Amino acid sequence: MKVSTRLSLFVCLLAHLSFAGASFSGAPVPEIPGRNEELQQLPDVTGHYGGYLTIGQRAEPKTLNPVTESDAVSREVIERLNADLIEINRSTQETEPALAKSWKTSADGRTFTLQLRKGIRFSDGHPFDVDDVLFSFSVYMDEAIDSPQRDLLIIDGKPMTVTKLDAYTVRFTLPRPYAAAERLFDGFSILPKHLLEKPYKDGTFAQTWSLNTPASQIAGLGPFRLKQSIPGQQIVLERNPYYWKIDRDHHRLPYLDAIVFVAAGSEDAQVLRFEAGETDLITRLSSENYNLLAKEKSRAGSQLVDLGPSLECNFLVFNLNDLSDRHLDETARKQSWFREVQFRQAVNAAVDREGIVRLVYGSRGTPLWGNVGPGNKYWVNQQIPHPKRSLDNARQLLKSAGFSWNPSGQLLDKSGQPVTFTLITSSSNAQRMKMATLLQDDLSHLGMQVHVVPLELRALIDRVFHSFDYDAAIMGLGGGDADPNSEMTVWMSNGTSHLWNLGEKQPATAWEREIDQLMQQQMITLDYAQRKQLYDRVQQLISENVPFVFLAAPNVLAGADSRVGNFHPALLDSYTLWNADELFIRNGGTENAGVR
Amino acid sequence: MPAKHRWHMGRMQISAVIAILAALHLVVLFAGFVSPYDPTVQNRELPYAPPTHLHFFAGDGFHLHPFVYAPTIGDDGYREDRSRAYPLRLFVHGDPYTFLGLFQTKIHLFGVDDDAKFFLLGTDAFGRDEFSRLLWGGQISIAAGLTATAITLFIGSIVGLFAGYFGGWIDETLMGLSELFLSLPWLYFLLGARAFLPLHLSPARTFLLLACVMGLIGWARPARIVRGIVLSSRTRNYVAAARGFGASSSYILRRHILPDTSSALLTQAALLVPRYIAAEVALSFFGLGVNEPLPSWGNMMSALQQYSVLVSYGWMLAPAAALVVTSVTYHMLADSLHSRLESRQA
Amino acid sequence: MTYLLRRLTRALFLLFGVSALCFLFMDMAPGNFFDEMRLNPQISPDTIARLRAQYGLDQPLPIRYEHWISSALRGDLGYSIAYNVPAGPLVWTRARNTLLLTLTAATLTWIVSIPLALWSAGSRGRFLDRAIALLTSIPIAVPEIVIAIALLAIAVRWRLAPVSGMITAPLQNLSAFETLRDLSAHLTLPVLVLVLCESAIIVRHLRASAVEVLSAPYIRAARGLGIGPGRLLFRHVLPAAANPAVSLFGFSIAGLLSGSLLVEVIFGWPGLGLLILDATLSRDLFVVMAGIIFSALFMLTGNLIADILLMGFDPRIRTEAAHAS
Repeated sequence: MKVSTRLSLFVCLLAHLSFAGASFSGAPVPEIPGRNEELQQLPDVTGHYGGYLTIGQRAEPKTLNPVTESDAVSREVIERLNADLIEINRSTQETEPALAKSWKTSADGRTFTLQLRKGIRFSDGHPFDVDDVLFSFSVYMDEAIDSPQRDLLIIDGKPMTVTKLDAYTVRFTLPRPYAAAERLFDGFSILPKHLLEKPYKDGTFAQTWSLNTPASQIAGLGPFRLKQSIPGQQIVLERNPYYWKIDRDHHRLPYLDAIVFVAAGSEDAQVLRFEAGETDLITRLSSENYNLLAKEKSRAGSQLVDLGPSLECNFLVFNLNDLSDRHLDETARKQSWFREVQFRQAVNAAVDREGIVRLVYGSRGTPLWGNVGPGNKYWVNQQIPHPKRSLDNARQLLKSAGFSWNPSGQLLDKSGQPVTFTLITSSSNAQRMKMATLLQDDLSHLGMQVHVVPLELRALIDRVFHSFDYDAAIMGLGGGDADPNSEMTVWMSNGTSHLWNLGEKQPATAWEREIDQLMQQQMITLDYAQRKQLYDRVQQLISENVPFVFLAAPNVLAGADSRVGNFHPALLDSYTLWNADELFIRNGGTENAGVR
Repeated sequence: MPAKHRWHMGRMQISAVIAILAALHLVVLFAGFVSPYDPTVQNRELPYAPPTHLHFFAGDGFHLHPFVYAPTIGDDGYREDRSRAYPLRLFVHGDPYTFLGLFQTKIHLFGVDDDAKFFLLGTDAFGRDEFSRLLWGGQISIAAGLTATAITLFIGSIVGLFAGYFGGWIDETLMGLSELFLSLPWLYFLLGARAFLPLHLSPARTFLLLACVMGLIGWARPARIVRGIVLSSRTRNYVAAARGFGASSSYILRRHILPDTSSALLTQAALLVPRYIAAEVALSFFGLGVNEPLPSWGNMMSALQQYSVLVSYGWMLAPAAALVVTSVTYHMLADSLHSRLESRQA
Repeated sequence: MTYLLRRLTRALFLLFGVSALCFLFMDMAPGNFFDEMRLNPQISPDTIARLRAQYGLDQPLPIRYEHWISSALRGDLGYSIAYNVPAGPLVWTRARNTLLLTLTAATLTWIVSIPLALWSAGSRGRFLDRAIALLTSIPIAVPEIVIAIALLAIAVRWRLAPVSGMITAPLQNLSAFETLRDLSAHLTLPVLVLVLCESAIIVRHLRASAVEVLSAPYIRAARGLGIGPGRLLFRHVLPAAANPAVSLFGFSIAGLLSGSLLVEVIFGWPGLGLLILDATLSRDLFVVMAGIIFSALFMLTGNLIADILLMGFDPRIRTEAAHAS
């Protein structure tokens, strides 16, 4: 760049900084982009420097260590501090180059050769190269560390291999072809070898980068770096002056001087803080709170967005596990009802999905008849039937399965026993509790007596995954990636999340066997159109045989203060902060704002 | 004011308070009759409907016989459908219920024709009548609260009496036990209890469980308070005198020491009953409370934990208001009893 | 002296007993920390099992208890599984925040309650007494959670006070005075809730026992002697009526660490209660144990102070105890 351009750039920068709103004292100035840096340009992004955002969180983050983290709150902070090789753009749901500026896939889909960006530095100024990538993946795959993310790198029981080709080229080899494998790289933060190699060798890796770690010992490639952490209260991130993205006018991102995360508590506390102007962004609102905020006069001008159906699904699952060596005779007896596909189809027909969407989600939700909802635009099977609720159909189905009714309207099974079972759900999830009450009422119209029992979360998990001591449960799934591979373990009959029948050695039914084959097939098929066909058939089988009675999915609701620019919330985690490097503070605060 | 007048006022006051309490309990006892609807019936088209207004004035002037309009939902919330007026009737036929657990009947105290609804206190998230739920819920809540309080105070006063009166190692052991009780993590115990109990409990068993769990956990504080009082009252002159006359310990405990603790016990009772009724909210979190669809004041108040409900649907505060009214009336009863006891002692 | 020694031994036994029972209870509760990972279809049960083994969660109960006791006696209360930091210091930093809240609330409570109760007793039967009786009924009758949320709603509507947290974000370089002012602003709401609920109880108990004392002959004699109502109430009635209040004072101290859970949850105050609740629900064993030990210590201290005060206020108890031992 010519000297005069550089100088004018510098002057512009200073000008922007001085006109910025509430500027954060001592914020690092972004480095002028150097000639030898291979930066990623975002041609549609524009904004100006200065200001900070306050974000409220449900709880406080537990750790800043990307390898050991296991909760969404910590992840929200960690992902602002780190970057991945390939990222999934939350808005388009497609992969984009990140730290890897380009990559080549081999014809059989097993090998990925990635070209890394040259000249980039960590947030402490130390240069980045392929050794950091190798180090990071060796930590992720280390059995002694037991990272929760390790399983993603193990395919068919064999780990990926990572090879260094030169200082800026790395090759990943998979044990077998894996569809959309590049999506795996999103979420694997690249660690600084110069800071973490020693603790790793000393065996104290799990204790590094906790909330007590001084900021000087933490460095990453993300848009922000840690400035200060006050446990229990707030975490302050400041701009990373070496961040490797620039905007349309070659200004180095991020625009914001700082982001402050505060532990605001429950959703209601967050809404209150947002309403009072103490926080600037809010996400995953319930529809009541959304409507409340929309009405609040003081927040007029806030950008409240209803993004449409999320990728979550909520469903009812019946216990079809093999109970032969457990002393659960009562439940085993009831399984004779649950195993009848017509029984499950009858329940499916009797559910008032429209009522659930209206009463639980305040009409900001979508009914679901299959495991993929309309929010997942690339994979949803549009041909799946969406029958209206029909108690007559349900009764027909029950009759053909051998059920009958006694004079007082109770449903009786073939041996004359009344049909009654318990329905468990997590007491901390208010929406599912409401769905349970609605279901209980729906099924009472069929003569079934359903007892709703709320359970604390881990007690629920213990029953559903370990002891199998339950009749039916309302659970949720999803919120991860849109790709079907993320749900392999749910639909494969030997999968570890195959909720209705865990620990199956062989598929118990013909349709489960077919699903096994289809899922295996789609996992190694590289062509999207072919995968879609296979997965469509899977969805069809699921909706016909009803292992889960799908209920509804909430819409993603998010909000931002009117001063927040480039606010583009998305359907995938992290809904509002995925483009934190593009967010900026508008001066004046009322231009282009409005409720959509 | 002369003592005689004070005593008369006290008597009037007690009668008034007893009358209010009796009315409250009768209404709750006859919940099936007084409430117009079944508390579990959902009206899904009418969630969070505001209380129905009783009208006395129509286009043609004043009507002695009040009437209501049917509620409908418009774009901006609930409106009244003024096309037809439904008079309020007495002794109507409505949803069937079991009268005092004895026989089935359909007669309710008041109601309106089926096309309209009379929601005296509005509806909840599922369109269920809050007033009916309030009355039915009061049955189990008040009963459980009273029973749990009785259990707690019974155990607490016995422990406190023994510890305070006999002193020495009995005192040490009992107080040590109470300290143990106070420090244990009851949340874990509740979690464990939930794991051992069968998933579904009948309403009767639920009630017993609630009363026992709450009652057994809370005895430590009243025990300490009672012990403190007994420690001082056992040194009184009349106790020494009674002992000198050869009275046994149990006689002394019963006739002299127990009355000294009465004021503290009454105050504790007044404070524990509402606390136990509200504690059911926490118990439901573990699945140990009254489960859907049955109402109880505790599980109705869990809806109030949401800020949006509190702010937008004020009628949902009904169970809290009912709890306040009940507790305040019990407090006034306790106060009146207490002043009668004092005036008797004076 | 021997009395203190006896209490100390009792305290030690209690701490052992509590810790053992806690371990037992925690074993009875289903599930462990890593169970939540089971809900994620992309984490295998093998990884979860290995994580459990890494933290020693799959060992039998007596061995785990023995490990904990031996390290606790050396001052190491174990590690938090969630935070991966030592449990003791973690619990202590939060405990400090809670103490700030509860000490302020307790001080204000007692300063307010004692005069209120005595005046109410002094003017018994008259309007002031009835008004106070009614006013104190309400915080007792209304569940604490409803009071807290109602105050929160009012504060939000009228922007009266900061609604949650302990400090305003972000931590700029505020002067000491400004920090103090900010802290007081954030303390307002939670302290208000605590004071309302606690003082109602104390006022009722104290008033009830003061009324009893007021009808005693020696009080009437004192009044006949011309002693003014203020001096009468505070110097003569209070010591005699103090008995239930002393036990309550003991509870105040005992509950310094454990009594503010609800308020902390609703107002987002980063205190011990919130940490322990979270740790209990996520089965973060050592944090819960550390919290219980800390709370038990406070409870023992509170009861000890209450017992000493009881003897102090009522000389008859003292002489009885002296005779007995």
